[in-house]
Amino acid sequence: MMNYIAGRRMASIRKRGSGRGFDNSMLKYCVKRLASSIITLLIIITVVFVLLRQMPIEGYFDNFEKADQATINAKLEQLGLNDPIPVQLFNFLKNLLKGDLGTSARYSVGAPIAQIIAKKAPVSIKLGVLSMALALIMGIPLGAAMARGKGRFWDKFGTVFIVFINAVPAAVYHIFIQMYGTSFLGISMLFDEANLVTWILPVFSMALGNTAYYAMWLRRYMVDEMNKDYVRLARAKGVDSRKIMMRHVFRNAFVPMIQYIPTSLLYTVSGSIYIESLYSIPGMGGLLVDVIGRQDNPMVQAIVIMYSCIGIVGLLLGDLLMGMIDPRISFVKKEGAR
Amino acid sequence: MERETILSVRDLDVKFNLRGRKLNALRGVSLDLYKGESLAIVGESGSGKSVFVKTFMGLLDANGWIDGGSITYKGDDLAQYRTERQWLTVRGKEIAMVLQDPMTSLNPLKTIGAQIIEAIELHQGLHGDAARNEMLSVLTDVGITEPERRSRQYPHEFSGGMRQRVVIAIAVACRPKILICDEPTTALDVTIQAQILSLIRNLKAKYDLTTVYITHDLGVVANVADRIAVMYAGDIVEIGLCEEVFYEPKHPYTWALLSSLPQLGVKGEPLYSIHGTPPNLFYEVKGDAFAPRNPQALKIDFVKRPPYFDVSPTHKARTWLLDPRAPKIEPPEAVRKLATEGVKGYA
Repeated sequence: MMNYIAGRRMASIRKRGSGRGFDNSMLKYCVKRLASSIITLLIIITVVFVLLRQMPIEGYFDNFEKADQATINAKLEQLGLNDPIPVQLFNFLKNLLKGDLGTSARYSVGAPIAQIIAKKAPVSIKLGVLSMALALIMGIPLGAAMARGKGRFWDKFGTVFIVFINAVPAAVYHIFIQMYGTSFLGISMLFDEANLVTWILPVFSMALGNTAYYAMWLRRYMVDEMNKDYVRLARAKGVDSRKIMMRHVFRNAFVPMIQYIPTSLLYTVSGSIYIESLYSIPGMGGLLVDVIGRQDNPMVQAIVIMYSCIGIVGLLLGDLLMGMIDPRISFVKKEGAR
Repeated sequence: MERETILSVRDLDVKFNLRGRKLNALRGVSLDLYKGESLAIVGESGSGKSVFVKTFMGLLDANGWIDGGSITYKGDDLAQYRTERQWLTVRGKEIAMVLQDPMTSLNPLKTIGAQIIEAIELHQGLHGDAARNEMLSVLTDVGITEPERRSRQYPHEFSGGMRQRVVIAIAVACRPKILICDEPTTALDVTIQAQILSLIRNLKAKYDLTTVYITHDLGVVANVADRIAVMYAGDIVEIGLCEEVFYEPKHPYTWALLSSLPQLGVKGEPLYSIHGTPPNLFYEVKGDAFAPRNPQALKIDFVKRPPYFDVSPTHKARTWLLDPRAPKIEPPEAVRKLATEGVKGYA
């Protein structure tokens, strides 16, 4: 899970100093962090690119079986596939900078990949943003209620919910939600972008996983914080328990959560294979699996690179957000400081 | 000398539920706290010192409860308080607390100023600029220079000693009548300890506070206390003026405690230590709780719990040794030495 990797990254952030707000040191840090992200991305692109060159060349033809040797050679020459790999990589990167991801070879012959994605992305993004918002709206109050009434109703209810979501394969409850949900709402099984009622079930289904995830971690972090001395001191100075929860516990518990959110948002908007196929939503969810199945090499390459990008941007945003809300994280290197 | 009692505890029983077993944390503790005095409660870990003062503010952990007795403060019995609303009339406003570890007792995400202002808004009813000015003056009171700049900083930008000053500032900003210091110097290094203690002493005078120290450091006690209460196994076994407890201790546990002062040891000899372990408070303690660890215990110590015997109007101890029928048992040599010579740095 990328989320865990995001957690790891925390350790690399310096925990000292006092640079606050978007000042010079923060800008410097952003630039540095961006540079290292770009290097990571370049490495990923290189690896993906080189690996895909090892794939059979059928992946560049829509009619490989019927083509004769001369046609094949001509096509390979035209695509530049006979060049040495470094040259190919350089050309690919050059095109990438222009926003050209290449053309599809088998999935939708000759169509620019960027166009295919642009056509499919909007609906996935809309669904993803909505489901993410719903997950936050449901997950955060649930987690907070669980932490507050530890061992009482909401805690038990939430625990059952979290265990259910994590233990039961998603396929099972998604199908039940679709079956009973559609008959309850009196709508057809399939998604229709124009009919807003049909958005409810896919968004809800997609939100369930993240809801459980946020509730679980928020509860855990809040319970951790509640046992800390500063909460004891706040109680001793006469702050009531509701304010302690809101002003002190929640905010501290939210620091470690905040860095997961961009990553999970980006993964959510990149579409859910299962939900999209269940409701036959014309989104991006199944695209990668689809093009791998069809051995469309240029598209596999483009989509894998796109997902890597999403992951890297998510981590970057997570780090920056953390830095903005936690004053202990500094963006300046302190020479000689402990 | 008649003194005004500010807080009066009678026969306080506190129990904890630990996985279905009942632990008797406090066993009938009584104490009168006088207005304006400085009381030190000493005793080993687990003797119930912290639990005892937490009951004054309703800060017992969720599995603990007051099983009997009363805590009278301003005519109200705090032991009967059940709701948070009731406790909020006491916490901070009447009784405030300084915790042991300044490294963890401040909220890491809030500025120092905001944390002090929170207390000021709650208890002094000031807001906005008035609260801010009050905050700056409290910061100055606790000896923080450049309060304007420092108040905008976060706890991690403060050293341990400075943070403890901030914690004290928060407590004082509540304008309490009673200030409880739960091991205020334990987590600090020695050079800072003295500063913090003298700071608390100055604030006590300035704000007319009654202070209660909890500590197991007898050096702290000698420095700050008017009176000493010695706790053992959930009860106060001896209480008296500082000099009385140091120079004329009557309870065998107090003797043992004083004998284990490193300063009283003889160079080259192993340091005195009390044998055995404190009684298991899951069971009803019979007789004098210290008897099993006391080599000179009397027979009756194992049978019947001693009452308090008055040594002087200000000094009393729970030991059968003070009964007129008891054999005369001399305190150990180290304690006699303390009484005649005193110890450098103590009392």
